[in-house]
Amino acid sequence: MTKARTFRGGTHPPGHKNLSSGQTIRRIPAPEIVRVPLCQHLGAPSKPVVSKGDSVKRGQEIGAQNGFISLPTHSPVNGTVKSVEELPMPHRRTGPAVVIETESEEGGQVFEPWKDYTAHSPDEIIERVKLAGVCGMGGASFPTYVKLSPPPDKVIDTLILNGVECEPYLTADHRLMLENPDDIILGMEILAHALGVQNYMIGIEVNKPDAIELMEKKGCRVLPLKVSYPQGAEKQLIDAAVGREVPAGGLPMDIGVVVQNVGTAAAVAQAVRDGIPSIRRTITVTGAGVRSPGNYDACVGTLFSSLIEESGGYAEDVQRLVSGGPMMGISLYTDEVPVTKGTSGVLALSASEARDVAEGPCIRCGKCVDACPLRLTPNLIALAAENQRWGMAEDFGALNCMACGTCSYVCPSARYLVHYIKKAQDAIRARGKEA
Amino acid sequence: MAQPRRFELAMSPHVISNQTTRKIMFDVVIALLPALAAATWFFGPRALFIVIISSVTAVAAEYLCLKFMKRPVSFALDGSAIVTGMLLAYNLPAGVPMWLPIIGTAFAIVVGKQAFGGLGHNIVNPALLGRAFLVASFPVLMTAGWTAPEAWRYGDEGAYSTSAITAEEMSVIPDADAISGATPLNVLKQTFDLDSSAESAIAEGDAEEAESLMDRAASMRGALYSSSTYRNLLLGRRGGCLGETSVILLIVGGIYLVMRGVLELRLPISYLGTVALFAWIFGGSGWFNGDPVFHVLSGGVVLGGIFMVSDMVTTPVTPKGRIIFGLGAGLITMVIRRWGGYPEGCSYSILLMNLTTPLIDRYTKPKVFGEVKDNG
Repeated sequence: MTKARTFRGGTHPPGHKNLSSGQTIRRIPAPEIVRVPLCQHLGAPSKPVVSKGDSVKRGQEIGAQNGFISLPTHSPVNGTVKSVEELPMPHRRTGPAVVIETESEEGGQVFEPWKDYTAHSPDEIIERVKLAGVCGMGGASFPTYVKLSPPPDKVIDTLILNGVECEPYLTADHRLMLENPDDIILGMEILAHALGVQNYMIGIEVNKPDAIELMEKKGCRVLPLKVSYPQGAEKQLIDAAVGREVPAGGLPMDIGVVVQNVGTAAAVAQAVRDGIPSIRRTITVTGAGVRSPGNYDACVGTLFSSLIEESGGYAEDVQRLVSGGPMMGISLYTDEVPVTKGTSGVLALSASEARDVAEGPCIRCGKCVDACPLRLTPNLIALAAENQRWGMAEDFGALNCMACGTCSYVCPSARYLVHYIKKAQDAIRARGKEA
Repeated sequence: MAQPRRFELAMSPHVISNQTTRKIMFDVVIALLPALAAATWFFGPRALFIVIISSVTAVAAEYLCLKFMKRPVSFALDGSAIVTGMLLAYNLPAGVPMWLPIIGTAFAIVVGKQAFGGLGHNIVNPALLGRAFLVASFPVLMTAGWTAPEAWRYGDEGAYSTSAITAEEMSVIPDADAISGATPLNVLKQTFDLDSSAESAIAEGDAEEAESLMDRAASMRGALYSSSTYRNLLLGRRGGCLGETSVILLIVGGIYLVMRGVLELRLPISYLGTVALFAWIFGGSGWFNGDPVFHVLSGGVVLGGIFMVSDMVTTPVTPKGRIIFGLGAGLITMVIRRWGGYPEGCSYSILLMNLTTPLIDRYTKPKVFGEVKDNG
């Protein structure tokens, strides 16, 4: 194995991955009622194309793509539409969703299965990925087909599959690599074909030696990476993998690289080979706040509460419910929210796990400056934001922040640095619009 | 049907490292203890009392300030006040009256720290401000209270010399009596004075007088730049502020801080490195013949370099800024030692550089990821 690579900065929070890393992915049948969000992807929500009383088939389009940065949405079940309404969401306050009463979960193959993807042109593949509603499944949910369609002046030479899973607690990608390596590898080859690149590899942190070994055995080029948060952030992964820095304010395609999550690759494989759109995903349900953590293969539209039930219910001292990982995940007031294509984990933190420290004053220790993977000065941006000096916050590079949470994690004074920086970003952008 | 469960809402990240301000401050206190042991060994229980009085005063002053300003009084126990109290005491001669640390520490906490908004908001190092206040208000007490090492046990006869020069070395210096009761840096300052007296003697045409003055200066420098003096400075057998005596034990504290991830090495290395460099360039009688080892070991630069140049609140946070801060402080220290009115310039150099910290931070902000690297 080659030497594990990494990026500059970062931190190493305790992984807690052994809570769920040994649990095989369990397929959960669709619940009686599915609540399929139309806003699962980044960008404009799909426009609903069904209404109350309509009967829908599994895989049928229920929401139409609504713009360039948008995707269609498909029904995960055969059933009857009960309503189209605004519901609480895991990643935003509320959003439009199609509520379907489930009759069965058979079928779902709505596109022609392409047994030999090489017989199809990159454009055909990209069109299929779009029609199948595939978006980034690592968390950001960016429409995958957009990443596969660079403007003609950008030459892509490298594809990196992201199997880093640097968020503590989460194990969905790890399990997927162990249990479904063939789909991931096929997906990677299809993506490489669509992009016309010969140079592709999969980046995995060395805390998953079994996944590294398996992928290498399957003949896949593996890039072992040091365990460091946020190793799985797109820019940090690229830096570690090929030693190129994505320009500030730019995109990976500016330096000829495309990064896709391993779950996304598997979804692409299923869309192309089997003709099934993106309607299920792997999710880790974990934390000391649930009785028996596990990994599940669930339909989009399944409520978090059913996943918690599958995991034995809440422990006595559950304190906080988070969609995603503990570093960047969003805390929820209710578990009555549906799984989306971007839901990588449901985290129930116990009172002893969840951060419970009062904020103190900045003592200018500089730990956040040393740890920031983007080389910002989080404490100074936060200070400017607290004093509403937005111009100064912008000077210090506030807009570059990706809110990875490393600074807040290392802060000995427990300052809500990410929060202040996000506030500054909102204010700077609002001011930009006014001007 | 059961009431739907509701969860608390909070901002990400939802986990946090176990490092806290309090742990950092108490790590600094622990790192200061070896030097306190040295102070007690050389200057007697009196040194220990001064440190205790100073620390207690610091916490009490902090508590009263917080109470008066209706802020959470728990801050008084976060350890930062104790650090200020200890550092101020470390900057006092062991012979000062016991009320002096009380006044100095109270000034450090009330004016130097709480008046600016408390922990994290003070502009200059409160302990050094307290010391500057004492030097300005009680100059005689602050510069004459030098005690000979181990005099408390053996009496003045058995004590080591305050200048750290051994008796054998001393015996070869003409009129050695005249330099007793001084610190090593005082002796060095006297050689500079002898140099200028010699120059004026030459100007007056008294070559004989000039020669004897220069001989005397040279023999004093020879005694200072000797391995026996170095050894005494390393161990702590010298006159000086009570916390700066033993270089070895100060470094032990520094190593502890590095291991605990509290001390970032850029500041101390750039400061001590700069002191050494300029010591060589102009720390001697002419140019490029100074003695860097003597300059680094004597006075307070090791204490300052490990515990005060690296004070988090008052020094830059950027990597480049920290190096610049060390450079600036090192240069000012040496300028004061060579040409200033005081024998030692460590504390003033740090105070002056503290004032530039916000500016340094502003102009040394690191290039953001993706702004510099040429991908070509």
